[in-house]
Amino acid sequence: MNMNNKIKWMFLVVAVFMVTLPVHTFAAGKVYKLGLSLAITGPTSDAGNPYAKGVEDYFNFVNDTKMLGEDKIDCTIRDDQYNNDITKRNFEDFMSQGIVFYLNYSTGSTLALKKDFEEEKIAVIPASFHAGNLIDSNYIFLPIASYSAQAIGLAEYIVNNHKGGTPKVALFIHPSAFGRGPVEDVQKAVSAGLKMEIIEVVEHGKDLDNTAMLQRLLSKGVQYVISQTVQSPVATMLKDAAGLGLAAKTFGEAGKLTFLGCHYTGGNDLVALAGPAADNFYWTTSYIITNEPSAGATAQLDLAKKYNRDEKAANSHNYANGMMVAQVATEVIKRAKAKGKEINKANLYEEMLAMNGDKAFSPGTTVGPVTYSKTDHAGVDSLQLYVVKDGAFKSAGTPFIPVYTGKIK
Amino acid sequence: MSSNRWFATGNYFTSYKEEQRIFFTSLDRSAMVLLILALFLWPLFIQVDNKYMLVIDNILVAVVAVMGLNLVTGFAGLISIGHAAFVGIGAYTIACFGRVLGENHMLLTHAWPLMIVFAGCIGAVFGGIVGLPALRLRHLYLAIATLSFQMIFQWTINFMDFFNQGQTISVTRVAWVTGTVSRSEHYTFWYYAILVAIVLVGFAVRNLLRTRYGRCLVAVRDNDRAADAMGMHPGFTKVYAFALAGFFAGVAGALHAYLYRGVGIESFTLSHSISFLAMAIVGGLGTLHGAFWGPLAIKILDLQVEQLSEWVGNHLTFATNLATALKPLSFGLVIVLFLMFEPRGIANWWRIVRSYVKLWPFRY
Repeated sequence: MNMNNKIKWMFLVVAVFMVTLPVHTFAAGKVYKLGLSLAITGPTSDAGNPYAKGVEDYFNFVNDTKMLGEDKIDCTIRDDQYNNDITKRNFEDFMSQGIVFYLNYSTGSTLALKKDFEEEKIAVIPASFHAGNLIDSNYIFLPIASYSAQAIGLAEYIVNNHKGGTPKVALFIHPSAFGRGPVEDVQKAVSAGLKMEIIEVVEHGKDLDNTAMLQRLLSKGVQYVISQTVQSPVATMLKDAAGLGLAAKTFGEAGKLTFLGCHYTGGNDLVALAGPAADNFYWTTSYIITNEPSAGATAQLDLAKKYNRDEKAANSHNYANGMMVAQVATEVIKRAKAKGKEINKANLYEEMLAMNGDKAFSPGTTVGPVTYSKTDHAGVDSLQLYVVKDGAFKSAGTPFIPVYTGKIK
Repeated sequence: MSSNRWFATGNYFTSYKEEQRIFFTSLDRSAMVLLILALFLWPLFIQVDNKYMLVIDNILVAVVAVMGLNLVTGFAGLISIGHAAFVGIGAYTIACFGRVLGENHMLLTHAWPLMIVFAGCIGAVFGGIVGLPALRLRHLYLAIATLSFQMIFQWTINFMDFFNQGQTISVTRVAWVTGTVSRSEHYTFWYYAILVAIVLVGFAVRNLLRTRYGRCLVAVRDNDRAADAMGMHPGFTKVYAFALAGFFAGVAGALHAYLYRGVGIESFTLSHSISFLAMAIVGGLGTLHGAFWGPLAIKILDLQVEQLSEWVGNHLTFATNLATALKPLSFGLVIVLFLMFEPRGIANWWRIVRSYVKLWPFRY
């Protein structure tokens, strides 16, 4: 090819590129930027990792199936290693990129950034269900019932199913805002008439042996232990209880301890960590589980399969958790688009507040609909109780809404 | 001293006074003035995202803290592994005022420079108290004493309701002559505020080292018995070294509180103390500019490793645990490598570069 021909070809390529460029730009639709900062590595990454995958896969699914037509969601996922200072940096980065909706993770960082969310007027869904997130806040939305509601729900289950006098309960909590959150609310529920006695609140450390604690609780007449922490300390406690022969074989067995826990204490990871000792552990969450067939479980497993996730991630309740917040974010974008509104922070916030009544959203991954309003920033109000039988979680009863949550407001 | 103070190729001091100059040559002075001018002027010409401005501010806060640690560990030779607790004291001083007087009290919003100095003073008081064991303890035993202060601090904050049990206590926005500093101006505003603080404390340290009190620090580090025999007071010197370090740390803590607009225990843990110590070692113990190099190097390393960990965590699922370990691993490795191969830190590289430039084109 001589020089002239080369130049001609070059011009032709450039011309084609220039002509097609605007067409592609128009055809590509709009891109809505979202951000998620969470612990992919570091403390709690066992929960953060499947959570991130759930978010990533669902947004990929939205884009691949053209759920928003030609428009796309671009959600940047950043690791913050469970460090508030890094979360703040990530948030500032996302704001510079022009995000319209933000997904956060830990209790600590949600509380630390609360004022920033208010100033930026951006709707935020954290992975933390701490009721304190909602105090003095207009823009934070919990995806499901708060830890307080979960702990109260478990307490109500104890009171309703306990045989004999007043049940004696201990709270086993994480030594942080995340763990301490529900304690005061459970105490309030007791003051408001919930007939149980809180014997002790145990803030666990990094104990590798809980023998002394378990013996102490038993000597004080404790029969039930409600846990609000992560899986590993619960697994240690369950294994110690099983080893000492202190774990109840049936709910409320006299002279033994029945263990119960909130969202982050349970799931398949607990069974993997505690082994047979996890049997008869009661767990509450608002998410469905993949052990039991449902449309939501099928959707979750299909999504994980589509994006080549392993069995562990696919069956994780934290994968469902991540998937669900992505579903809510997508839904508000869809609704705003359907109304012809511009996709921006203000309009998405408005759509979040309007998600109630006949506009409640059922993602399928939860046991009840997601509802938000100006006065209700907790998404799914219903909780489901699960119990480990033969090494797998199974539903115990039907979804319920704790009664005392409303009474202590 | 050389007759030409611009192109001196060596130090030809003819009096002790000359040796005590802040700048040895006019070139040094001019370079410093230009550097400070450049540091003040660049934000006017270059737009930087909030994310990076926050990183820069964070490095500058660490510089203030490490200057203090360098005084006690580098110059006075007293190991302290509770420095983050002193920084926390400064931050919680601001938070306490907020809780007692109300977040938007004039003292916090308008008299913030005074509050920063006051936080430094509280840090100095605690530093002095924690320094008391230094009268009797040395080396590893002193390290354990400072470690215990770190533990007591964390425990106190974590369990006292007044401190919100370690949860974030918010700090308000401050006022400036143009009104309340807005969100868009926040990081640039604090860049300037921290820079002013660094210039002030930097010159303060440089001056301190020219005085008998500064020379006492070095003398006590090298041999406290000899220093005692020379008429110095090793006990007093050790306590004021801790108090000075506490002051700098307190100032850094207050700046951190205002910068992040909140104070939570997570920012002042033992790992932060070790991080400050690493910055001092990597920068160069016992040098003033080591306090600048260390935070810069460690924070940038942190950023790079964070990105690598994130990539590994995202793409190599089976290696998530490895990704989690990358940060502490790289951090520990850097400290070990510096201790083994360059115990004088980056400051020594700077010294080599400087002497090369100073003698250029002649070499020896």
